[in-house]
Amino acid sequence: MNDDEAPSASRRQLFKTLALGSLAAAAAGCAKESDRPADSSAAAGEYKPTFFNAAEWEFILAACDRLIPADEFGPSALQAGVPEFIDRHMQTPYAGGDIWYMQGPFIEAAPQFGYQGRLPVRDILRVGMKSIDAHCEKTLAGKTFAQLAHSDQETLLKAAEAGKLELENISAKEFFNQLLGETRMGYFCDPKYGGNKNMAAWKMIGFPGMRADYTNWVEVRDRSYPLPPVDLAGKRG
Amino acid sequence: MATIKPKVDAVIVGMGWTGAIMAKELTDAGLTVVALERGPDRDTQPDFAYPRVVDELEGSIHRKFLQSLAKETVTARHGTKDTAVPYRQIGSFKPGTGVGGAGTHWSGCHFRALREDFNLRSNVQHRYGAKFIPDGMTIADFPVSYDDLEPHFDHFERVCGTSGKAGVLNGAKMPGGNPFEASRSREFPLPPNRNYLGAELFYKAAREKGYSPYPIPASNASAPYLNPYGCQMGPCNFCGFCSDYGCLNYSKASPNVSILPVLRLRKNFELRAHAQVLKVNLDDSRSRATGVTYLDADGKETEQPADLVLLCAFALYNVHLLLLSGIGKPYDPVANSGTVGRNYSYQNLNRVTLFFDDSVQANGFIGIGGGGTTFDDLNGNQLDNAKAGFIGGGVIWARQPGSGPIRGISTAPGVPNWGSAWKKGVKDAFRHSFYYEVQGACMSYRGNYLDLDPTYRDAFGRPLLRLTFDWNDNEIRASQFLVGKALDMCKVLSPRALSGDAKKPGEHYNITRYQSTHTCGGAIMGSDPKTSALNRYLQSWDVPNVFAPGANAFPQNNGYNPTGMVGALTYWAAKAIRELYIKSPGALVQA
Amino acid sequence: MRGSARPWLVSLSILLVILAGAYLYARWPTHTRAILRQPAAGHLLHDGPGGYLAIAADCAACHTAPGGKPFAGGLRLESPVGAIYSTNITPDHESGIGNYTLDDFDRAVRHGIARNGATLYPAMPYPSYSLMTDEDVADLYDYFMHHVEPAAAPAPVNGIPWPLSMRWPVGVWRKLFAPSPDAPQFNASRFSDPQVARGAYLVEGPGHCGSCHTPRAFTLQEKALNDSSPDFLAGGPVIDGWVAVNLRGNPADGLGRWTQSDIVATLRTARNKEQTVVGSAMSDVVVHSTSQLTDADLLAIASYLKTLGPMAKDQAQFAANPATATALAAGRESNRGAELYDDNCAVCHRTDGAGSPNVLPKIAGNPTALSANADSLIRLVLAGSSLPGTADAPSTLGMPGFGWRLSNEEVAQLLTFVRSGWGNQAAGVSAHDVARVRAELDEQAAALKSPKN
Repeated sequence: MNDDEAPSASRRQLFKTLALGSLAAAAAGCAKESDRPADSSAAAGEYKPTFFNAAEWEFILAACDRLIPADEFGPSALQAGVPEFIDRHMQTPYAGGDIWYMQGPFIEAAPQFGYQGRLPVRDILRVGMKSIDAHCEKTLAGKTFAQLAHSDQETLLKAAEAGKLELENISAKEFFNQLLGETRMGYFCDPKYGGNKNMAAWKMIGFPGMRADYTNWVEVRDRSYPLPPVDLAGKRG
Repeated sequence: MATIKPKVDAVIVGMGWTGAIMAKELTDAGLTVVALERGPDRDTQPDFAYPRVVDELEGSIHRKFLQSLAKETVTARHGTKDTAVPYRQIGSFKPGTGVGGAGTHWSGCHFRALREDFNLRSNVQHRYGAKFIPDGMTIADFPVSYDDLEPHFDHFERVCGTSGKAGVLNGAKMPGGNPFEASRSREFPLPPNRNYLGAELFYKAAREKGYSPYPIPASNASAPYLNPYGCQMGPCNFCGFCSDYGCLNYSKASPNVSILPVLRLRKNFELRAHAQVLKVNLDDSRSRATGVTYLDADGKETEQPADLVLLCAFALYNVHLLLLSGIGKPYDPVANSGTVGRNYSYQNLNRVTLFFDDSVQANGFIGIGGGGTTFDDLNGNQLDNAKAGFIGGGVIWARQPGSGPIRGISTAPGVPNWGSAWKKGVKDAFRHSFYYEVQGACMSYRGNYLDLDPTYRDAFGRPLLRLTFDWNDNEIRASQFLVGKALDMCKVLSPRALSGDAKKPGEHYNITRYQSTHTCGGAIMGSDPKTSALNRYLQSWDVPNVFAPGANAFPQNNGYNPTGMVGALTYWAAKAIRELYIKSPGALVQA
Repeated sequence: MRGSARPWLVSLSILLVILAGAYLYARWPTHTRAILRQPAAGHLLHDGPGGYLAIAADCAACHTAPGGKPFAGGLRLESPVGAIYSTNITPDHESGIGNYTLDDFDRAVRHGIARNGATLYPAMPYPSYSLMTDEDVADLYDYFMHHVEPAAAPAPVNGIPWPLSMRWPVGVWRKLFAPSPDAPQFNASRFSDPQVARGAYLVEGPGHCGSCHTPRAFTLQEKALNDSSPDFLAGGPVIDGWVAVNLRGNPADGLGRWTQSDIVATLRTARNKEQTVVGSAMSDVVVHSTSQLTDADLLAIASYLKTLGPMAKDQAQFAANPATATALAAGRESNRGAELYDDNCAVCHRTDGAGSPNVLPKIAGNPTALSANADSLIRLVLAGSSLPGTADAPSTLGMPGFGWRLSNEEVAQLLTFVRSGWGNQAAGVSAHDVARVRAELDEQAAALKSPKN
């Protein structure tokens, strides 16, 4: 697929949602750690991926939107900036396998021994997305995952989760678990990492974020904890 | 060519709890001590400084304070016929690294063992007959008694500022404590911590079921504290970042908070961080260690000669170093010979989760690692093993080390893992659920052991340690029995939903799921050099100037967390070195 | 009136005469009487009594450079006109004081006159040391000549440019402002209590507490060298970024509410039940000097300090008020400052501002929190501070800095709240002040990155 191709209608829609979500968010997460907090938060513009290519980015946007959709309960993954988080997280040493044992031989083992392949997280995602797109194009009228109807996307994700999707080069289940893991991390991380814009996911569940101070609330039973979340940069949600 | 450092009296491998205790005791005795720690130096400031330390992505995903498996790990398999594969991603257990070791990111549960835990084999034989112990179960008595260790349990609690309530004080039962514990010579240094909702309700449920709940002894200070070394602790503020994290508040006892401040001022102590010990060097007789070889911070091979070598690494790596150095005979499960690697055991951990409606303020983000409520009615001699159908008991407890959404939110049964229903599920559960756990003993078996892997190597070219371990019927029955009791108890609290994860018959050990860092055995203490690697002073039978304190010395694991026992054993061994070994170096027990 | 008179020439002549007079005045030899007592032989203490005095006088603070040999000098001291370096006071004959006689030594220590007759910069606290007894000076001499290892280490050349580097004007300063060599020695009989007298001697004399803690006049001399004036120890300038606190009896920003044992604990361990030393300057004093003094001497110092009445005007008040704690504990926050307190500080100092005894300092009524000059407080919040570990209190408890997390405006709001909460009543802090301290910190960090020597 050509990276310069004009965005499809659905992709445009997704970008719009993402941009709106981002605009609503305070942009503390974008600040480098060493930067002093700015007096006024610049709104995060439309995020441009620096790790994923256009096809992968479309996949990520579509998959995140299915895994954590917009609804009455709280922000969607796109509103929370999850794709931005994943794109940035893929560029960390962690996603390159820096804390995993990566020496061979790589042999098959029972699932109780965990992922035994040679790929670090970032490549599990890339290979997995490519394999699923290839699977879709072969079996679903030449469409990529992102071009499928929501219900079809969900069916595919469910199959991957259940280990019922056969893919080239990768275990669909392993791919799904990593993708879901990254999506949840991006949803609930400190906004510094690009996700959880405006701490909206923390607010949804009532997590006070970086407070780490509950001396007065250990024995309180009759009131819910009142303080809003605070993030690493010191902003309040 | 290795650089050779000037000889010292003692070299310590690893600067966690056991290393710090040994360094303190031996420098007290006037020895010059060098400690080699493979990881970085760490201290509350700046490494655990608020608020950066409470970053879940860094702590619980990037595992900032845990051992990276990239350089060193183990391989694992379920049985001797299987091919082991590497433990590639952190899952089942979390070894530490850096100064403080796992003692920085532990929770703080600080138990003593029960009197009967020390003579498990003879106690079971006495109560139920020798045949009650199944074939292949290799449980053994400790070569020390509770009374031997009592002063050391007591001292280690003083060092840690342990918060709790005595149940039996100088033989007298005390209200509020564990009525089944072995007698203590003193009350805990600090009173118990306050109860979060789950711990409070545990009292209600347990009492209704006729159990005797008591506060978990916690090395998370309930009040400001000054330990016998002059080190200071602040009261726990329930920040919810114990497990995986260093304490931001000087509240959780750790080598860094409780011992190292003194060591860092000592002229006869030197700490070298980023010093990766490769092996213990032996002389030509193979019965005397001459020091250790390590890679320094620049990766330069360096030799540290010493009269005394103290292996104070994490339990698994103590065994690894013994095997790599050729100290003691490797265990062979087929021939049932050899000692090093024998009797690997673990912990039988299971969880039940209770979900309530949104009027119940469970607030799982309010957390304290060791604080909570438990009971011993199903542990030790309180349990009728013949009736229960397994050996070794366990405890059920309320614990809340602190939950956060990246560490995972348990959802009620039936809630999917994604989609709108998942969102609703986490929203409903996060502030309004808590869990209780069953921590069961784990017996040792002929087929559960450690040796060197024939295929995989670490970043230094050494064979990885190979872990052969699987659940046996005894532990699966224990899991089902204890989880059943826990679920019964939970029903008293009428949760809107309840889930439990008892092990199923035939279930295999799953190394991907975090259970417990209580890996035990492999270089056990005993009274017979044919079946143990260490004597009762944790001294190698084979190379008497090598001591190896740690949970590696446990012949099997009981229902409690091991740290209290590990600390007490280390003080016990240090006392033997100070009072016996220094005067007359050599074997302290004749083989 | 003579038309041919050139007024500028007259002025110049007068100026030259004055300068010449000043020069002569400066260079006119100062006579100091010969010291009476020669050092006693055969001391009981390992280093002789002089070793203890060297600790009490904290000679190492300036004369031992980090990583350098003890007392070999070379420590860089910043002054407004350039860097000066401390001298080598080991008994090395070439670069140290090996050739000094007892009288040479005495003239330097008590009177600020080097062996070559030049006047020492008053970074050397000879105005305070002038109170030391003959016996103590002799013991100190004995210590430096016989118990200190000689070290060959010539002092680096001072970085003060000419004409400011000329020493003779310092001689004028000395003769005008330092106690005269003929001034009476320390008079213990001023005090009815011998313990207080001993404390006064240590504080005013060898301890030279006033060098930092007494305000200085425009001409840079300490406004008072003893308790005859309410200026004495009434709080000095900012040193290395930290305020030298008021040690007088003011109840809010002084030691008025401290007990003797609070003072003893602070000198022994850099901390007491409710407060801690903040900043490196006093931490170093504790490590190198006060932590090693005897219990009796620390108690003497404390009993003397407690005799000092409040300085003239109270710049802050404290009257414990539970309202702040009650509101915060219930999750009620009156302004952004209160929010910032909850979001950054309460984790350790608690919503009641009480911290935790002996471990986490109390903010309510804390003299550092109430100090008229809030620089220490600002610096603490921006950059943090750690306690030194000593034999009696090895824990290096510390507070992290929050400068990376808080804007200048936020620090100002936070500290204004802190200085008005729980009964604290001190002036607010402005964002401008915070910006200034932040700039100083940045400058220091930059200097650390590119050391000048």
